[in-house]
Amino acid sequence: MPKIMVDGKSIDCKPGQMILQACLDHGIVMPYYCYHPGLSIVASCRICLVEVEGIPKLVPACQTPVREGMVVHASSSKAIANQKAVMEYLLINHPLDCPVCDQAGECYLQDYSYQYGRSESRFEEEKHKKPKKDVGQHVLLYNDRCIMCSRCVRFTREISGGGELYVQGRGAREEIDIFPGRPLDNKLSGNVVDICPVGALLDKDFLFKQRVWLLKQAASVSPVDSGGENIYLDYNEGVIYRIKPRYNGEVNQWWISDDTRYSYKIVRDPRRVVQPMRMQYGSQIETTYDRALEMAAGGLQQVVATGKAGSLYAVLSPMMACEEAWLLGQYMRRLDPKALLVLGPVLGKGEDEVFCNSLTGKQTFVIKGEKVPNAKGVRRVMEKLGGPTATFEEFVKGDRAEVKEVKGGWIVGGYLGDWVPKDLPAGMKKGFRVMQDILPTVLAGAVEVVLPGAAWAEKEGCWENHQGRLQAFEAAVVPPVGCRREGDVYMNLLGRAGLYNGAGIRKEMGEPFESVRAPVAREEEAAFEFVEL
Amino acid sequence: MKDTEIIELQEPRLSVADQFYVPQMLVGMGTTLKHMFMTLTGKDRVIQYPEEKREDIPVVEGGMNLRTYRGVHRLNKDEGGRVKCVACFMCSTACPAHCIHIEAGESPWADREKYPIQFDIDELRCIYCGMCEEACPVDAIELTHEYDIVGLTRQEMIFDKEKLLKMYDQTVEKEPM
Ligand code: SF4
Ligand code: SF4
Ligand code: SF4
Ligand code: FES
Repeated sequence: MPKIMVDGKSIDCKPGQMILQACLDHGIVMPYYCYHPGLSIVASCRICLVEVEGIPKLVPACQTPVREGMVVHASSSKAIANQKAVMEYLLINHPLDCPVCDQAGECYLQDYSYQYGRSESRFEEEKHKKPKKDVGQHVLLYNDRCIMCSRCVRFTREISGGGELYVQGRGAREEIDIFPGRPLDNKLSGNVVDICPVGALLDKDFLFKQRVWLLKQAASVSPVDSGGENIYLDYNEGVIYRIKPRYNGEVNQWWISDDTRYSYKIVRDPRRVVQPMRMQYGSQIETTYDRALEMAAGGLQQVVATGKAGSLYAVLSPMMACEEAWLLGQYMRRLDPKALLVLGPVLGKGEDEVFCNSLTGKQTFVIKGEKVPNAKGVRRVMEKLGGPTATFEEFVKGDRAEVKEVKGGWIVGGYLGDWVPKDLPAGMKKGFRVMQDILPTVLAGAVEVVLPGAAWAEKEGCWENHQGRLQAFEAAVVPPVGCRREGDVYMNLLGRAGLYNGAGIRKEMGEPFESVRAPVAREEEAAFEFVEL
Repeated sequence: MKDTEIIELQEPRLSVADQFYVPQMLVGMGTTLKHMFMTLTGKDRVIQYPEEKREDIPVVEGGMNLRTYRGVHRLNKDEGGRVKCVACFMCSTACPAHCIHIEAGESPWADREKYPIQFDIDELRCIYCGMCEEACPVDAIELTHEYDIVGLTRQEMIFDKEKLLKMYDQTVEKEPM
């Protein structure tokens, strides 16, 4: 463990670590643009230069490995003079766009300008204005705001592997560009917006929607596949505006797929089911939630009273949180101790999509082919509950004795698209069916009771990803009027007091659910001192 | 909504005098009587609104100081007659009453990036503090001297972009930008 001194503070570093990373790990603030822990090091922006005793010139902290006994002066007058000079250089051609720039508020250039820059410009000549470009399906490039850190170029070469972006021209005329006819259209393209330290690369979807300082964050998990990418839901006044990656070294690192990034749209989808329905004389009519719930409970009890044990089933969707599956399972088993628990369809058995570094060929990111987030978790809950269970395939085939017996049940959807299979299983075709879903399906139009459910961003719980990691997520917004969170519905049916609370339910579920930690919200970023104007 | 977003407020505690009610009532009565005598001796001035208006009276006699008076907002226009606002949300961020609602969009003009598609100010919620005016980087929002605005419904008192631009046309002669 090499020890180094930074501005009189002694820190322990890992061997071979760069000075900058060692400082960041120990909470020492240092400016940097081109350095990104997930990308190769180019040391091109030069704002991180520091003084090291024994070396006559300033060295880039991001590219200088630590050495035992190294003495670093990060805020010596030489280092500060360099920071000021770099800032002044970067701002020579940078437009004064902050009021209309989407990055304002989370912009490195803005922050460092306050911290390390000067308040007025000495540049009297005309600024060189570079063009604005549409580089891909999701991404816009405002070249005049670019500081040529080349993070985006390195990302497309080293992580997404397509190498769509490159540096064109030289010196002051240098700019980022795409090759003719080859737009930035890979499934990780949105990440370049996150890593761009300034407002040069912007997301078309978020463009002009909100100012970032108005957004609040909820820590969540991606609902689109079994990868379990960690995300933040950025919301304001009950509306989610965007999704940003949440660092998790063992799952998604700094990146998320574009499917995850735009999955929040389901929350405000105009197709959302918001009206509880019940069947009367062979056709569905609108009803209140309480009336629908009463009818659901009554109908299921009726089925149990008239049939024998094992006549109830529940289709537990792999979109449900483990806690919800647990509560619904308990309710069904209370009505009918032999109730059949079926894992809903696990969509997308397709191949995983693998991304590789185009230079080294090393695998960098995988988008899972299984397009549901919690198949593993719901299976685990079903095992915990014990009793008869079936997979959806067995349920569809219908040749097992338990499957033939069923007379009515509870079906949970919650998928992000249409999920009802063409050949509906015999059990789901008839009998008394209660359905909880967020999008309309053919099945929802035919069942006895429809209960509008909540999307994942509207509730809390935990999901198990393909690696077997149980990851908890928080709610960001409340469900639309007319919808209720699944957890609350089950608590109500079970006659339990209070509202559904993920952490509380996990406690009673026992291991391994008990020890699932609540997600950690973003740590306070290094506080910037404000300059008195 | 998370627990951290909930703000709990405590009701202020009543002092003993407050609880007895009568002493506080007498204090109020005293103020009223003081002003009554001051009017009789000519030290206070009663303005016969609306025949007489404060803006027509000299400031020393209790008239309105037009240099600092803050009334209804207007949205300024540039030389081309286009709305000056660039939809930066600085005013709505600064507004302590949270009464400015903006929806931004791509501007139809080549020389500008962003402009407000919708710009609403709830004039009933506004406390006329002028923070929005201070915050604006392009001097697009201003408080005029107009105060006698009326409406039959609350909805009418939510001024939209058109109404705010019309305010500009109505007041620009009297109060140039
Ligand atoms: S577009 Fe952004 S990430 Fe790419 S070089 Fe410019 S500043 Fe860096
Ligand atoms: S005057 Fe004050 S309260 Fe009224 S809109 Fe402006 S900032 Fe808000
Ligand atoms: S501060 Fe000025 S430019 Fe910005 S949104 Fe408000 S009125 Fe428009
Ligand atoms: S961060 Fe070290 S040179 Fe850019």
